[in-house]
Amino acid sequence: MMPIWTKSGEKHAVTLLKVQDCTVLRYVSKEESGGKTAKLLVGGKNVSPFSKPESAHEIFKEAGVPRKQKVTTFNVTDDAIIKPGTPLYAAHFRPGQFVDVTAKTIGKGFQGVVKRWGFKGQPASHGQTKTHRRPGAISTNKASKVYRGKKMPGKMGNIYRTSFGLKVWRINTKHDIIYVNGSVPGHTNCLVKVRDSKLPTYKDCNKNPPFPTFFADGDEELPEDLFDEEIFQFTDPSVTFA
Amino acid sequence: RVSSDGKPPKFQPPPKPVIIDRKTQKEESRFLSPEFIPPRGRTDPLKYYIERKDMIQRRKVFNIPEFYVGSVLAVTTANPYASDKSNRFVGICIQRGGKGLGATFVLRNVIEDQGVEICYELYSPRIQAIEVLKLEKRLDENLLYLRDALPEYSTFDVNMKPVPRMDHEEIPVNKVQVRMKPKPWSKRWERPKYNIKGIKFELPEHKMQAAQKWSQPWLEFDMLREYDTSKIEEKIWKELSEELGK
Repeated sequence: MMPIWTKSGEKHAVTLLKVQDCTVLRYVSKEESGGKTAKLLVGGKNVSPFSKPESAHEIFKEAGVPRKQKVTTFNVTDDAIIKPGTPLYAAHFRPGQFVDVTAKTIGKGFQGVVKRWGFKGQPASHGQTKTHRRPGAISTNKASKVYRGKKMPGKMGNIYRTSFGLKVWRINTKHDIIYVNGSVPGHTNCLVKVRDSKLPTYKDCNKNPPFPTFFADGDEELPEDLFDEEIFQFTDPSVTFA
Repeated sequence: RVSSDGKPPKFQPPPKPVIIDRKTQKEESRFLSPEFIPPRGRTDPLKYYIERKDMIQRRKVFNIPEFYVGSVLAVTTANPYASDKSNRFVGICIQRGGKGLGATFVLRNVIEDQGVEICYELYSPRIQAIEVLKLEKRLDENLLYLRDALPEYSTFDVNMKPVPRMDHEEIPVNKVQVRMKPKPWSKRWERPKYNIKGIKFELPEHKMQAAQKWSQPWLEFDMLREYDTSKIEEKIWKELSEELGK
């Protein structure tokens, strides 16, 4: 995470996400998948092929890419279908866009009710016998059962969670890095899924996105760094208020 | 001597004296700002490389001078609510923290009997000028104990003139031993964990010896805590001098 400053001098914290060897692996049509839209399977970081059996390598052999660590699905409209085997780059996103980022949260292991659900526990003194971080009562008398989904101790973390509506401040096309506002679930160097935001406020915020994606062998030549309009660039002199 | 032509020997002037100036021949002191050294961790080094590119870019446009904890600085920042739209603060640097673009330094001064500490970010675009009025080092890495010292050690004149300094002089170490206000202090500075050399402790002997109970003499032999930064510093210094020399 890094600080970033706007032209008016305000500081925002920014997370860096690196797009490492992402390729489209397979196209699944609407009828095949049984959903409302067609799906594209996309694979992430390259990983050694020797730790999985040959049967697991079929998808990657069809697309002609080395084995990827993570395969995710993206729901896609029919005009945005991409041929399997095309690499995806960070330039697919543009500064000023809003994204949702999904990742597995940091695993905390088996945790008690105070840390996992934020219960208040019991006082430290005034006669409490061996009861300081326990859940207390779990149901009422009338119910005569414990409801499903009762908050109790258990394994915490290591589940998929999404942060919605994060602004993209800057894109580095040379190293394929996306600078995303705020924090993102997961530990450092974990795998993360970045999608266009589904929030209704940001539905029309994408002005001219590269559609269906940014092709490296196309005619467009992008500069090494793409900045949002409000970012203070370090090539400018210090901020002064007139 | 036997002359070649019978004429007296030609006057040979004595060889010119070679002056070896030992002062300038001393090894150039290199100062690598502490925020460039990456902390120990599992982050990808690419992140530090990219952050360093941004820091170098900022340093090309705005001059961040060399300074240490204990030097007196004057910082002018942009302030939209001030009448002049800028704000100048003079103070002694008590602490330098943070790595990368978020590096900070805290300046302390006592203005009209009120101690004031301001934490500035080195790479913030609102800073318009950083001037080093007095460049010197102190015996400790951070001077947070000045909060519990007598106010005379933290007062600096707001209109102080910069102290002139030769380029080749070594950075002076101010070995002042600071006198403290009576206890209680904000932290127990006599304990060995802070390892403070710049305080003149006027506590009785038995209190100083009782404080040594909290010493952890095994820490200096702990090999897992060692972080050798010499090679990393060399690489970063080379990169910096290339980029800033352009």
